[in-house]
Amino acid sequence: MLKYLLRRILFFIPTLIIITLLAFVISASAPGDPVSQILRTSESAEAFSGSGTAQHQQEQLWIHRLGLDLPLFYFSVTPSSFPDTLYRIYNKKEKSAVKSLLMKYGNTQTVESFHSSVKEYQQTVSQSFADSAEQMQFSKQVIAAYVNQSAYIGSQLLAASDPDFIANKIQQAKALTAKYPFLQEAHAAANKMEENFNAMEATSERWKNFIPSIHFYGNNQYHRWLFGDGNWLTGKGAVNSKGLIRGDFGISLVTQMPVSTVIWKRIGWSLLFTFLSVILAYLISIPIGVRAAAKHGSFFDRASSVTLFFLHSMPAFWVATLLLVVFANPDVLPWFPASGVKPASGYPEAASFIQKIQITIPYLILPLIAYTYSSLAFLSRLTRTSMLEVLHQDYIKTARAKGLSERRVIWHHAYRNALLPLITVFANILPAAIGGAVIIESIFTIPGMGLETYQAIQRQDYPMIVGVFTLTGVLTMIGYLLADVMYAIADPRISFSNK
Amino acid sequence: MMKEKSMRWRSQVWREFRRNKPALISLYVISIAIILAVLAPVLANERPLYIKIFGQHFYPAFTFSKTYFVKTPEGLQQLNLNAVDWKLLPKEKVIWAPIPYSPGKGDYNNANFISPFAPQKFMDRGNLVEMPNRFRHWLGTGSRGNDLLAGLIHGARISLTIGIISMSIAGLIGIVIGLFAGFLGDDKVSTTRVRMIMTLIGIFFAWFYAFQLRGESLHDGLKGSSGGFLWQFLISLLLFILIILLFSFLGKWMGKFPGLKRKITVPVDSLLSRFTEVVVSLPILLLIITIAAFSKPSLTSVMIIIGLTNWTGIARLTRAEMLRVREMEYIQAARALGFSSWRIMFRHALPNALAPALIAISVGVANAILIESSLSFIGVGVPSTVETWGSLISSGRENFSAWWMVTFPGLCILVTVLSLNLIGEGLRDALDPKLRK
Repeated sequence: MLKYLLRRILFFIPTLIIITLLAFVISASAPGDPVSQILRTSESAEAFSGSGTAQHQQEQLWIHRLGLDLPLFYFSVTPSSFPDTLYRIYNKKEKSAVKSLLMKYGNTQTVESFHSSVKEYQQTVSQSFADSAEQMQFSKQVIAAYVNQSAYIGSQLLAASDPDFIANKIQQAKALTAKYPFLQEAHAAANKMEENFNAMEATSERWKNFIPSIHFYGNNQYHRWLFGDGNWLTGKGAVNSKGLIRGDFGISLVTQMPVSTVIWKRIGWSLLFTFLSVILAYLISIPIGVRAAAKHGSFFDRASSVTLFFLHSMPAFWVATLLLVVFANPDVLPWFPASGVKPASGYPEAASFIQKIQITIPYLILPLIAYTYSSLAFLSRLTRTSMLEVLHQDYIKTARAKGLSERRVIWHHAYRNALLPLITVFANILPAAIGGAVIIESIFTIPGMGLETYQAIQRQDYPMIVGVFTLTGVLTMIGYLLADVMYAIADPRISFSNK
Repeated sequence: MMKEKSMRWRSQVWREFRRNKPALISLYVISIAIILAVLAPVLANERPLYIKIFGQHFYPAFTFSKTYFVKTPEGLQQLNLNAVDWKLLPKEKVIWAPIPYSPGKGDYNNANFISPFAPQKFMDRGNLVEMPNRFRHWLGTGSRGNDLLAGLIHGARISLTIGIISMSIAGLIGIVIGLFAGFLGDDKVSTTRVRMIMTLIGIFFAWFYAFQLRGESLHDGLKGSSGGFLWQFLISLLLFILIILLFSFLGKWMGKFPGLKRKITVPVDSLLSRFTEVVVSLPILLLIITIAAFSKPSLTSVMIIIGLTNWTGIARLTRAEMLRVREMEYIQAARALGFSSWRIMFRHALPNALAPALIAISVGVANAILIESSLSFIGVGVPSTVETWGSLISSGRENFSAWWMVTFPGLCILVTVLSLNLIGEGLRDALDPKLRK
């Protein structure tokens, strides 16, 4: 038994790693740029929106706070021409432009120096606006127009990878900056750019691309996400992230609140509904399944089978919507409230705890039905099949031959063995219930984790979605572990045969 | 001889299946649904099947071009096929599609949820008149006056396509994994250690050359049309397999040298079964919702996501069946004849182990349709411009008195899923030798 447990727990670890990896890959491939999303929604950005440098600082601050200035994973496999510091380029377009230049020329040094000369040009251009304040013979508008135009060429160059396009743009930059004295330094930078570009064109070493090279990074985004930015074991010295293993799921891009805080605030309703519905489903489905199997072929068996088959084929969201349309519709049957878990105006002030529960119960009934019914059909059918299988076995015949009453045979001998599969599906039902919660909670507007996920999807709040996914994955794993251990306890054959 | 026997077996299964009336009816229902789905553009289309304007003949429903040039007494006129209101167009002769509406297109005279039984309006030569039966919205309309019946017919097309294609992907993965795990077991694959190591190195290099170096072309393909991506992906895949084979043969050759001859056994079954267990224990529905929320809404990505996550049942059933089949005498006979194990696996063992996979696939299609409709109900994955059964129900929530918007699409899902489940059940009964006695 102990050996079985150990094996099971050992298997638990790689699965957890795969879940975290999956969640990480998904979150790393999120479309858009998290920093600009934060800056767009946060109020601090509005205050700074006037000046470019302040916004740039703010951006750098958030990039550092979110750990986006780190390499992605413990190692990376790249063509040998790629420098191991490529991850430091944050802008996605810029990064892919540098990558395709590297693929085209294969010479790390020349590509890097070309890229840095473009950056330098960009910087001198933006500085030249401040410097030109003394040169009063030009109006501010003229200066601004020329600086902006030169800066625009620079930003085009940063994202460009087509040689002809680059050569063309460099000539434009040179021509533009040659005209005015306040762009003198920028003109020098543009010349440097051309020099570096020609050097890059001249020394193509494409063969370097065909040799793979592996870079290892101790400190990376995945590590940080898992263990935080402090000591990985004790968590000491953590500043911006405590790490997943200490319950830190990052911050929401929309509200900038920690995801874990939001989840803990909302998880109560979801857990309540999940557990109530699972218990309810078991309580209803076991008697139905056992009875149908015991009277195999009877009217009850056939009627319940057909009904359950129908229920099994109905989508949960449709049933939920139908329930709303029929039972929460003032035009049809206004029996239950349509949404939420309490009156929109809140509870009356003098209400005691019991009274609050009384007020809330009508709100819970429709969602509970919607939550319960799909696992109900599944469980009853499973009970019936496994009961039928057991009833065909020899020891049941023996029990009958001994002259035991049918009731005793079914409930004492057969039932316990037929229950075994029901233990394992407990772990199956739990994650399905949590996934289904996204749909059902959004229909009934129950303020639980599912509704939060639904809203996060609509607001593109990716850390929130990944946080819910990771948590559900871990909960599912624990559910499976518990189910397997319970099964092993209930059926000694399992831990024996698995030695 | 073999052929005759397999024919007999097949006809026996078919006879067994036919006796199961619900399953047989379901088969008819699904066939009709497939025909409706295939013919959807002809059955429900706002463009006429045939139209005669100024003595010229056009077949707007069957064309891919966006404009027509029509010779009129005032000269050549351009006709934008997507923008023109065909019902107002002056014409000499016209044959409408049976349902003369396209899915999702608004009918402003009947906007804001018109019941199937309520009076509907029709614009005839500038006057709003009562709806003639030919143009009636038989199942009512949605918020923009979009015809529900047209939406349902085109929805069938989407649901069935997603169900069938995603389960083809899942079936391919599941059957291959189940086949290898079941047939090879833990002891059938033994090789020299050096070949094993060389193959692993080969996988690394293959991945690097096929996917890392070609990453840019793959990315370009993805940005362009999906056909371009498929082509690029196939090239990469071919390269991947070729490089692995190259390294594997190199390893085989190296294994001949003394000192490198040590043998090891690869526990294929354990590895694949553990992998399947890991995938089973993922919260699949939430995983699909998460991935769909992260990727750009498209039907193709929904199919791929559902296909990549729903193969575990098929793999497990195929594996169990293979465990049984590989012990059978005719497999031993094939071995004794000296056939290669690849040939035995694919030509002799696999055809006999496909039956359980077939059951799992038919139930899987039902499941995929349920998942797709749930996704489009919450507005994830499927583009918002496409009308599906799920999104129709979702739009019905705007107005609770519009019972038709909730009832009919739901019934469509119910009937399709129920039929597929019943077919699966019927197949199981027909194929299970225990029940046949």
